[in-house]
Amino acid sequence: MLDWMDGYTRVLLVFAGINVIAAYSFYVPYKTGQVSLGQAGFMAVGAYSSAILTQKFGVPFAVALASGGLIAAVTGVAVGFPALRIKGVYLLLLTLGFSEIISVIALSWDYVGGAQGFRNISFNPWTLEYVAGVIVVLLLLFSRLERSSLGRAMDAIHQNETAAEVMGIDVVRIKLLSFGLGAAIAGLAGGLYAHHATYMDSTTFNVMLSVEILVFVVVGGGSTFWGPLLGAAVLNAIPEILRALRDWLELLPVEWTDFYPINRAYDLLHDFLDFENAKRLIAYGLILMVMMIVRPDGLLTRDGLLRLRLPRWKTRYA
Amino acid sequence: MPDVSSGGICLAIEGLTKRFGGFCALNELDLEVAQGHIHALIGPNGAGKTTFLNLLTGVLSADAGKITFNGQPVDDSRPFRRTVRGIARTFQNIRLFPHLTVLETVMIGEHCRAFPSVWAAFTKAVLQRPFGECSEERQMREHATELLKFLGLADRREARASDLPYGEQRKLEMARALATQPKLLLLDEPAAGMNPRETVELDGVITRIRERGVTIILVEHDMRLVMGISDCVTVLNFGTKIADGPPERIQEDPAVIEAYLGEEVPL
Amino acid sequence: MIYQQLINGLMLGASYALIAIGYTLIFGVLNLLYFAHGEVFMVGAFAGLYLVVYGGANIYVAMLGAMVICALLGVLAVYVSVRPVPKDRPLAPLISTIGLTIVLQNLAVYILGGQQVAFPETIEQSLYTIGPVTISSVQLFVLGVAVTVMVLLWLLIEHTKVGRAIRTVAENHETAALLGVDVNRVVLLTFMIGSGIAGVAGVLDGIKNSGISPFMGLGAAIKGLIVMLLGGLGNVLGAMVAGLLLGLIEILSAAYIGTTERDFFSFAILILILLYRPNGLFGTRTTE
Repeated sequence: MLDWMDGYTRVLLVFAGINVIAAYSFYVPYKTGQVSLGQAGFMAVGAYSSAILTQKFGVPFAVALASGGLIAAVTGVAVGFPALRIKGVYLLLLTLGFSEIISVIALSWDYVGGAQGFRNISFNPWTLEYVAGVIVVLLLLFSRLERSSLGRAMDAIHQNETAAEVMGIDVVRIKLLSFGLGAAIAGLAGGLYAHHATYMDSTTFNVMLSVEILVFVVVGGGSTFWGPLLGAAVLNAIPEILRALRDWLELLPVEWTDFYPINRAYDLLHDFLDFENAKRLIAYGLILMVMMIVRPDGLLTRDGLLRLRLPRWKTRYA
Repeated sequence: MPDVSSGGICLAIEGLTKRFGGFCALNELDLEVAQGHIHALIGPNGAGKTTFLNLLTGVLSADAGKITFNGQPVDDSRPFRRTVRGIARTFQNIRLFPHLTVLETVMIGEHCRAFPSVWAAFTKAVLQRPFGECSEERQMREHATELLKFLGLADRREARASDLPYGEQRKLEMARALATQPKLLLLDEPAAGMNPRETVELDGVITRIRERGVTIILVEHDMRLVMGISDCVTVLNFGTKIADGPPERIQEDPAVIEAYLGEEVPL
Repeated sequence: MIYQQLINGLMLGASYALIAIGYTLIFGVLNLLYFAHGEVFMVGAFAGLYLVVYGGANIYVAMLGAMVICALLGVLAVYVSVRPVPKDRPLAPLISTIGLTIVLQNLAVYILGGQQVAFPETIEQSLYTIGPVTISSVQLFVLGVAVTVMVLLWLLIEHTKVGRAIRTVAENHETAALLGVDVNRVVLLTFMIGSGIAGVAGVLDGIKNSGISPFMGLGAAIKGLIVMLLGGLGNVLGAMVAGLLLGLIEILSAAYIGTTERDFFSFAILILILLYRPNGLFGTRTTE
């Protein structure tokens, strides 16, 4: 299936797809107002569990993947309990700490390779198909959730938790469900990653990954269910867009650009668009900063795609 | 209209006490609210009225005392369970969901009646048909619309809660609380910030709510409203009950007058 | 033997403390987790290095230079990442600072390369012995500068008008404005002070470790967060004490239990504090 795709595109889509799934793992607890910087940790739990099952116990991939998700879900509920009474920056730090502890465990546990990492995980040639399938299921799930009473209840919890509780909403169970479900989705993403990259170690699922996942959702727009998909897709596409821009730049006829200062600008721009890690990331960071000024609610909100905000440079306090 | 004089006891409070460190907010409160009554709770600021409401709804836990609701003891630690049992409230400092529409807000109140458990809500959400809506959603919407009509907010259904003027926000709070189908409704200073015309309208609303069979506890400062509408009035001062009875008797009670004015006023 | 570990612990702790001071000052006045602070630390280290290597400066001038450069970086951060971003969406300022972190870190990689760079020797190496303790001149220098900075900062916060303004803003923005404090300017000043101190910390780290890399910011950022929480959000004195404490705990656990476990302790402490003492050891001092 999908053999017509060349290897490079395929790998690109797999990683983009895994990022999309990870973005949805953040979206679930976020819908109830719980901002988690620990989704990378849940990915690690799913990744390591499924890899242990396939490599050490010969479990077939699909079963191992699902089990990894389940184990991650249990971990999610466990972390969800202390998270119930913690908010804001404290919750960020709690989830961050959790993620880092998982990293440390991966580092010091020799059963999963310790400092050398978990090597030679069996490669799953159908990863792209699995990823696509999971994404489709997630989209179906979240489109329904958004229109349902439970989805409304989650939004209510986000907007005023005490009021929701007093109006008969079982806030505790819903928050735990969100954390567990989010962790399960992250676990699936982790399992899919492990069996495609065939290698992982304690640095694979790190803080910056958790941060990236958060960024996908906030940039895409956390108030609709298309947001995570949009954010992950756009931000993953940026390096490719930059490369396409550079290729287009090279098509310009030489006579147009052969004089000063155009040629200097051209050289700088061409150099900058050269698809190299550091420059891609600089562009990424700048986009984040600009977005938070002109469109802080994300690309896609309830009122649509456009409408930019004007920055104000002095806050009036009194 | 329910027969008020022979109704049972909706709410019985015995020895309810709440301390915050060294400060005693509520001291051995005894109180009975009859079915179908509008029972007012008044007192100067800081008397313990809001603490009482918080204890009733389970937001705070009592240090001592018993609460009995329709004959059953109330000791649920989670506020939402008390709401499911039939105790609802509005907030003095309006606590709406800023980004939900008016209709959606009221439907939040409907949620606990339509879905007995989170699991039921989740399975229903996941399994619902891709187009159109499930029967629970339709029912909830119909109930919510009816409540909005009852409170005169029907034409504001699609407005954002945070965009409403103050008076309509108060009405929305009541609609939301009513959506939980309470047997006992706690109104926390519903007339705060209202002009006399709005207060008269509120009077009518509260009466109509009572006619639907809901017992009401009214915490208020507006004496005209309180004395005009209540069947029974309890007066608190510094966390202690100082008077209890029909409005006419309370108005003449010297202890009450002293509590409000700080001195004895010759009658 | 244990004295060596204690000194190492204090040195590590001093580094953590200096970084956490900036974090906690900024959190105190803005309720913002200034993620990019770790990168400021890194910039300070490189600024110091370049001043020494290419500017031929002595270490004191280099530290001063790094402090100034980082303070200016703090000003830039305020104008670019803090002021134009709406405060009523809690995540927007955080993400903007994350963007700034990414930009700074990768600018450094782009301009300076991704390798670790050796920090030049600037202090005469000699050893001093006080009783059972042997301490090198480098260690003495680092500790001395760190302590001096901390004391000066404490004096600034507690005993000057500027410090009082900062504390007032940290209490409540509206009240401060009503009292005539220019809140925007105080916030700017807080960023400058915090960033400047981070710059000095960067240079000290370079001296201590004799090697710096463009990636040193992230680890510092995370440890700084833990220390800030441990000491109480917004509590400057708390950050100082907590930093020293964490440094000692890490070094001692590395020495007596194992090096991979040492991070485990830091994060376990983080989780325990969050669950059981979220106000930190010494209480929070932040704005509403």
